[in-house]
Amino acid sequence: MTSLLGIYRPRNTPMHLAPAWFKALLLLAVAIVAVLLTDPVNSALVMGACVMLLISTGPPLKPTVMVALALAVTSSTRMEEMLNLISRGLRPLRRIVPPETIGLMFALMLRVIPEVVRILSESRDAARARGMDRSPRAILVPTATRTVGFALQLGQALHARGIAEEGDAPAKYRRARRSR
Amino acid sequence: MIEFKDAEFIAPESGVTLVKPTTVTLPERRVSIIGANGSGKSTLARMINGLVTPTSGSVSVNDLDTVKDGAQVRRQVGFLFTDPSSQLIMPTTIEDVTLSLRRSIKDRKERHHAAMQVLADIGLADKADVSINSLSGGQRQLLALAGVLAVTPTVIVADEPTTLLDLHWRAHVGALLRSLPVQLIEVTHDLEAAARADRTLVVDGGAVVYDGSPAAAVAHYREMMLARAERVTTS
Repeated sequence: MTSLLGIYRPRNTPMHLAPAWFKALLLLAVAIVAVLLTDPVNSALVMGACVMLLISTGPPLKPTVMVALALAVTSSTRMEEMLNLISRGLRPLRRIVPPETIGLMFALMLRVIPEVVRILSESRDAARARGMDRSPRAILVPTATRTVGFALQLGQALHARGIAEEGDAPAKYRRARRSR
Repeated sequence: MIEFKDAEFIAPESGVTLVKPTTVTLPERRVSIIGANGSGKSTLARMINGLVTPTSGSVSVNDLDTVKDGAQVRRQVGFLFTDPSSQLIMPTTIEDVTLSLRRSIKDRKERHHAAMQVLADIGLADKADVSINSLSGGQRQLLALAGVLAVTPTVIVADEPTTLLDLHWRAHVGALLRSLPVQLIEVTHDLEAAARADRTLVVDGGAVVYDGSPAAAVAHYREMMLARAERVTTS
């Protein structure tokens, strides 16, 4: 899939001419506003403004369509249906990869994103409370350590719930684990 | 029945003994484990479902060894963590419960029906399609419990399940746990809850230092902690 980081195209639009710091600030401000807004009318207005801004930059069509489509799919499909799809799709390869585990990895990836956002927000508040809100280290170090802690807890919980147990793994992995 | 036979756990990273050789048999329906922070009570509890495996000795549940029969033990022993957020995986309430049932019920409709039944039993049926992020702390703990109950365990190990909850949810989750038709092993700092068990273990320095009736165990623990606090204050 085309990387979103490599889709720059040289143009002369206002967004292209604006300095990078302004665009980063704009991104941060809109992200904060989008998170804080709760009513649908204002949220739709912000979304409309963002779409207009995107169109004004004359973005490359293919990656934009793919991102929009990915968003449409994830916002209209239950995670369980995704798990079923991935498990069914990978079933022919079950001797090589464990289909349930791959599906679960996908679910976990989406599960971790809001948690990291929450940890980041709490770390920022904690840094602010200690008068260190300008120190990236005071925000990023606790965010990183707590994220690792959360991942470890999540792993333990998966183990405790018996999800993706040894029985789900392909036979050759089971044999390899037993021989250890 | 849970049996610790000379079970010891030494942390592989640090070489510190977190649980000293312990021999104890737990046939009672409700057992509480109390102890100071870092005393080893959570590690002891994690040994029951094989999250932590003994360095020496053995732990068995209904004659199944937690090392040799790990997967079978985990099917029988549900585990409830202090922070339910780390136990919830799927984006909505119903999906998280159905995830627990994926292995046992292959038919999608049947799985959904079974999950709805569990949610109804626990009082979360009206939250079935709600995002886990919009649930309160108490509701999240209930959902974590629903995920555990869905696979019909015979034992539930709860590691400080009400520590993060307000008084209302503490009472609700506590009462619900005690009413379940399973063996309940509860690690807790709530001495009132501990006193409602049939038997209480007091853990200190990685060892069971008192094992007996809840009232006597709680009194022993209080005395021990007060004496320790006094020593710290006077030194």
